[in-house]
Amino acid sequence: MKALLSAVFRKEMRDHLRDRRSVTSVLGGSLLGPVIFAVMFTVVASWNRQDKPLELPVVGRAHAPSLMAFLERSGVRLSEAPPDYESRIQAGTLDAVLIIPENYGKEFAAGRSATVQLVMDNSRNKARFTIRRAQLLLNHYAGLLGTQRLMARGVAPELAAPVRVEEVDLATPERLAASLLNMIPLFLVISCFMGGLNVAIDTMAGERERGSLEPLLLNPVQRGTLVVGKWLATTVFSCTMVVVVAVAFVLVAKRVPLQDLGVKVSLDAVTAVGMMGAVLPLALLASAMQMLVATFARSFKEAQTYLQLLMMLPMIPGMALALSPIQSQMWMYAVPVLGQELLVSELMRGEPLGVAPFVLSTVGCVVLAAVCLAAISRLLSDEKIVFGRS
Amino acid sequence: MIQVTNLHKRFGAVTAVEDVSFRAEDGVVTGLLGPNGAGKTTTLRMLYTLIRPDKGSAKVDGLEVAERPLEVRRAIGVLPDARGLYPRLTAREHIHYAGELHGLSGAALDRRIGELVELLDMKEIADRRTEGFSQGERMKVALARALVHAPRNVLLDEPTNGLDVMSTRAVRTLIRRLREQGHCVVFSSHVMQEVAALCDRIVVVARGRVVADGTPDELRARTGKDNLEEAFVTVIGSDQGLMQ
Repeated sequence: MKALLSAVFRKEMRDHLRDRRSVTSVLGGSLLGPVIFAVMFTVVASWNRQDKPLELPVVGRAHAPSLMAFLERSGVRLSEAPPDYESRIQAGTLDAVLIIPENYGKEFAAGRSATVQLVMDNSRNKARFTIRRAQLLLNHYAGLLGTQRLMARGVAPELAAPVRVEEVDLATPERLAASLLNMIPLFLVISCFMGGLNVAIDTMAGERERGSLEPLLLNPVQRGTLVVGKWLATTVFSCTMVVVVAVAFVLVAKRVPLQDLGVKVSLDAVTAVGMMGAVLPLALLASAMQMLVATFARSFKEAQTYLQLLMMLPMIPGMALALSPIQSQMWMYAVPVLGQELLVSELMRGEPLGVAPFVLSTVGCVVLAAVCLAAISRLLSDEKIVFGRS
Repeated sequence: MIQVTNLHKRFGAVTAVEDVSFRAEDGVVTGLLGPNGAGKTTTLRMLYTLIRPDKGSAKVDGLEVAERPLEVRRAIGVLPDARGLYPRLTAREHIHYAGELHGLSGAALDRRIGELVELLDMKEIADRRTEGFSQGERMKVALARALVHAPRNVLLDEPTNGLDVMSTRAVRTLIRRLREQGHCVVFSSHVMQEVAALCDRIVVVARGRVVADGTPDELRARTGKDNLEEAFVTVIGSDQGLMQ
C-alpha cells in the first residue's frame, strides 16, 4: 500500500517537474504578487513623504501680502505660477495653484468674505496630499482671522463655532498597515489555488484525455491509493508556491519604505512561519477541490474553464474583508479561505493568537479535503466518468 | 483460462452486450471478431473489471471479475481500447511505473524490463520520451506495460489497429510467442484477415450476441463455405463492417 502510494507520487512528481508549464506557473506566478506589492508601496510612499516642504505656485501674490507672509511662516515655498498652470495641473506636473483675485484686498478691508481660488485636479491621487495640506493651511488662516475679527468686536469666538470636530484616530500604526497590506492574505490564498492548478488538471482531466486513465486503472491498485498519490503530488506544487510567496513577501517588505507611510507591520521570519502554518492547510484542500472538478470535466479545456471560476472563490471573502473589516469569531477560522485570510491579517497586525484558530483552520480544510478525495475515488469507479460521457 | 457466461450490459437505453458466452483456454489464441459496435470492447471491459456486468458471469482463472477485481487484474495483462502514454516519460519509465503498480521492484523489475525491451525490440526507443513516438512505437510501449507482470491471461483490444505492416507483424509474432508459452490470449478485431491469421478459435460477435464459435475449420464446415470471409458474412447476416 505504502509502496504503491509512493510509486504513484514519484511518477506524478517526475512527470510534472518535467512539465515546463507546471513549473513556470509556480515560480513565475508566485513572484507576481510580491512584485506588485513592492511597486505599489514604493509609489505610495513617494507620494506621501512627510518631510517634503509644500510647494505652492501663486497667481497674484502682490494682492495678499499678509496671507503670503502667513504661508511662508508655515514653511510653504511660494513661487510665481506659470501662465499655463491649468494644463499643467491636468497633465499632473503641478499639484495645485493658488489664485488671489485683484479685488481680494478691497473685499478683505471691507470685512466681507474675500475669495481665493485653489485650482486642482481632485481625481489625481498623487496631488491629493498637497491639496489637503494647502486646504488645511488656508482654513487655518481663515479661522485665525475670523477669531481676531470677532474678538475685535467683543464677541467670544466660541459663539461662531458651536461644534468643534476633533479627530481621534484609533488606528494604531500596525492596524493601519494591516488595512493597507490586505493584499498579502489574498495573494497567499490565491497561491494555494494557483500552484497546483496545472498539475490537478493534467493528473485527472489530462489523464483521461490522453487515454492513459484506462491503463492506469487496470493496475491492481485501489482507486483511493491512486487518488491520494496524485493529490500528494499536486499539494507539493501548491505548497511550494505558498512558501515561495510568503518568503518573497517578507523579503520585499524589508526593502519597501513602509516607514515612510507611517506604518509598522510585523513581517519578520516568525510571522512568515505563522502565515505558512495558517495557509498551507488550505493548499491541501485547494488541490483536492481542483482535482475533483478536473475529474468531472470532460476535457482539459473544460477543466481549465471551471477552475478559473473556482479561483474567484478566495476573492470573495478577501474583498469583503478589505471593504468592511469584521470582528473575527471563533467559527470563522474553520471556514476555509475565510479562516486563512483572517489568520494572516491578524498575524500581520501583530495580534497574539492562540493555537485554537490554527487548529480550527487546519481541521476545516483537512476534513473537506478528505471528502473531496473520497468523492474522486468514487467517481473513478463510475463507468461514465472513466470512459467519458457524450 | 477465461470463462464468460451470459454476459449482459446496457447503457441507458442502449444494450451494448445482449448475451455473450465463450471460453478461452490456456495455450490457445481466441479471437473476438465482429463489426464495429458489436459489443467486443464492452465485453473485454467487463472482463478486465472496469465495467460491471448487469447480468451473467465472467471468470478469470476461476475468479469472478465483479467480486475480486484486484486479484483478477493481477492475473491479466491488458491492452485496452485507450492506450495513451505520458508524453514526458520515457518508454522504460512507463514499463517501470506499471511494474511498480504490480508490486514489482528492484533488480527483479529491472530484469523484467530488460526482457520486454528485448522481446519487443525496443532498445532504441527505451530511453526516449514517448512524445513524438510513431503508432508502432507507442503500441510496443503499451504492450510492454501490459505484460510487465508476466500475466497468465492476455487481453488485447484491437491490437493491430492503425499499425503499419512491420508493426503488425511484430504484434503477431508476440501473440504466437505468448501462445507457445501457454498463455491464454484473447484479442478482438473487426478485421477478418487478422483473426484468420492468428486464431485457434474464433468467437463471432454481432449485435451483442455470439453468433458463431469454433475453429476456422468448424466455421467453414458449419456455413458450408470454403472461404472464411464468406463464412463470416453468412453468420453475421451482412457484410457490414468486415471490410478493412
